[in-house]
Amino acid sequence: MNRRLAAALGVAAIVLTACGTSGGGTTTERLAVSAVVPKPANAGDLTAPPSVTRQECGDKLASWRPEGALPRPGQMPAGSTMEKIAQHGKLVVGVDQNTYNVGFRDPFSGEIQGFDIDMAKSIAQAIFGNPNAIQLRAVTSDQRIPALENGDVDIVVRTMSITCDRLEKVNFSAVYYEAKQQVLVKKNSGIGGIDQLGGKRVCATNGSTSLSNIAQARSKPIGVKVSDWTDCLVMLQQGQVEAVSTDDVILAGMAAQDRYTEVVGTPLANEPYGMAIPKANVDFVRFVNGVIAQDIASGYWSASYKRWLDDLIPGPPPAAPVPRYKD
Amino acid sequence: MTITTQDSTAVRPLRQVRSLARTTPGVLGTLALLVVVVGLAAGVFGAISVQGRVQALDDLSARSGPLSEAAQEIYRSLSDADATATGAFLSGGLEPAAVRARYEQDIAQASNSLAFAIAARDTADVTAAGSPLATLAGQLPVYTGLVETARANNRQGLPLGVAYQREASTLMSTKLLPAAQSLYEAESGRVSADQDRAGAFPVVEILLGLLVLGVLIVAQVYMRRHTNRVFNIGLLFATAAAVVSLLWVSVASFSVIGSVDDSRTKGSTQTDVLAKARISTLQARTDETLTLVARGTGKAYQDDYVKKTEQLKGLLNSAQSQATDDLVRDRVHDAWNRGQAWASAHDKVRAADDSGDYGTAVKLAIDPTPEGAGTAFDQLDGNLQKAIDQTRQSFTARIRDASDALGGTVVAVVLLAVVVAAGAAAGIWQRLKEYR
Repeated sequence: MNRRLAAALGVAAIVLTACGTSGGGTTTERLAVSAVVPKPANAGDLTAPPSVTRQECGDKLASWRPEGALPRPGQMPAGSTMEKIAQHGKLVVGVDQNTYNVGFRDPFSGEIQGFDIDMAKSIAQAIFGNPNAIQLRAVTSDQRIPALENGDVDIVVRTMSITCDRLEKVNFSAVYYEAKQQVLVKKNSGIGGIDQLGGKRVCATNGSTSLSNIAQARSKPIGVKVSDWTDCLVMLQQGQVEAVSTDDVILAGMAAQDRYTEVVGTPLANEPYGMAIPKANVDFVRFVNGVIAQDIASGYWSASYKRWLDDLIPGPPPAAPVPRYKD
Repeated sequence: MTITTQDSTAVRPLRQVRSLARTTPGVLGTLALLVVVVGLAAGVFGAISVQGRVQALDDLSARSGPLSEAAQEIYRSLSDADATATGAFLSGGLEPAAVRARYEQDIAQASNSLAFAIAARDTADVTAAGSPLATLAGQLPVYTGLVETARANNRQGLPLGVAYQREASTLMSTKLLPAAQSLYEAESGRVSADQDRAGAFPVVEILLGLLVLGVLIVAQVYMRRHTNRVFNIGLLFATAAAVVSLLWVSVASFSVIGSVDDSRTKGSTQTDVLAKARISTLQARTDETLTLVARGTGKAYQDDYVKKTEQLKGLLNSAQSQATDDLVRDRVHDAWNRGQAWASAHDKVRAADDSGDYGTAVKLAIDPTPEGAGTAFDQLDGNLQKAIDQTRQSFTARIRDASDALGGTVVAVVLLAVVVAAGAAAGIWQRLKEYR
């Protein structure tokens, strides 16, 4: 038995050695492995530019004029959209929870806060007399229009640029913030703007106008799409993208979170923000425009800008946008 | 040319052997040789066959059994670590010490089980393309690195922390957990294969035993016809040894088959259902947490939660019907009740979140209050753990029974084969001597 075993082991050893020398290569070769870099959920390269029909639609920034003075809180006109919202008990708002100082989850309190949230709260204040009668729903860039179309939210206040494309599906309030698209890069990268990013990977959220602008830039950068704006900063920190390109106000929030980054270049495009409202609810658009006008007149807008954005954005505080109406 | 000359020289001794074989002493000599060779060969091959069974049982108790347990532990601790780390970002401020301790414990548990699983495997298994062990070993440090980056950013009050945590969770759900699940499936497949080997019908052993008996009977019939004796003591002794060997191997093998069957019905089959129930539980908990993280747009997670809890119900039902032990039955019953409590807590979480009361929803979901979803989940998971421990104990005990039943069989088969050969040779030699 022992001899058999020894013989069997001998044969096995020969076979194993043979396998080792013929198939496996050296130890170093067998130990070689390439690192797999983790990616944010749904991150990916843009294979085809997002479809933008870019058709003209007159003055896209002109919204519906407010009807006289605002009704008093708690006394919404019968049959109006505002009355339905009042009956529901809370204003349901689609917001961002990832954009520092615009719409973000404050790690200390767990509450969603920021400039956009202040704007949304002023509408709740106007309907209910209580700024906290509000339900915030975090939506990603590409969920904004579906959420409005499905009636999941009453209004979207989430760094949303007014475009002719979007106006076909939803209504926009008057402009409540004037952003412009720029580029965020690592400090000392030597990159001064989108023109130097040809063939480089540039991040923006899926469904944003920023992503279309990147795809259409003459220098032909490679667009990288993610779900949330902060995912772009994660990818920049991990060296997976060369730059982030979107609105100055969003980039300023990223630069504030990482002092090794800076906003550079001349603006690529103007991005006027409007609050989006379902197509049918024109009465609510007029109401919201009344609230925006009131916010600007009362200094609420300036106070909110000072609180959230003044420290992030260089230069003196801008004047509040002047609303334009089409009727 | 050389071949023909060799043939012609080889033919003559062969003829001599043939003519010798036709004489009675020649036949007796041949018979003696046959009985010795067949007896010893049957002993060796019978012993090897029994040894294969012993090996399968050793694998069950020392390799595949413990490995499937380790694989299941890897899945559980990784899944719990991610649900815990993600949950820490739901409420504001720093995570409570208990939450951090739970995460650290989970990671320690996962790393340890992973080290165990890797050590028990050959290097080729680990380096093979797409090996779940390589994925787990390679990605777990990356995962923990992301979680710590998330914490560091969170500590500075930056929302960037949540983005890192989301990336970590994505890594967990797309790479680590699928690898852990396929590791578990592979290991429980091995358990089943080892059980098949250990509990196989002893065809070889029985055929060899019958062959030896056949040869012995032929030898005795021949002796009776060609010598004057009715009985030959040596051959009788050899026959007795052959019968004992056959009986021993058969009784031991059938006892092993019985124990291995029991190790399935009272052990591994139940463990498998319970382990699947646990995986569904963990997945449902992750869904519950992620629905809250998504903050209003987590319908996909909620839908998955519903699916996973339905699966859980089905699995608990089959665990209940398969249970062979009162302890397991009680644990599964408790698990069912805790599941009901969790379902109603979850409904409250959803109602609060859907009505815009996010703070209350988070509290109900993660605070360690008696009526909270977290508590019910922990108790459900604890009951499943205890039921799994119990079925594993039954499994180990039945495998031990099987090993005990085979104890000494290899030695006995070899010794009895020697007795068969020696007895037969001595008996025939005694008669052969008379022809001198």
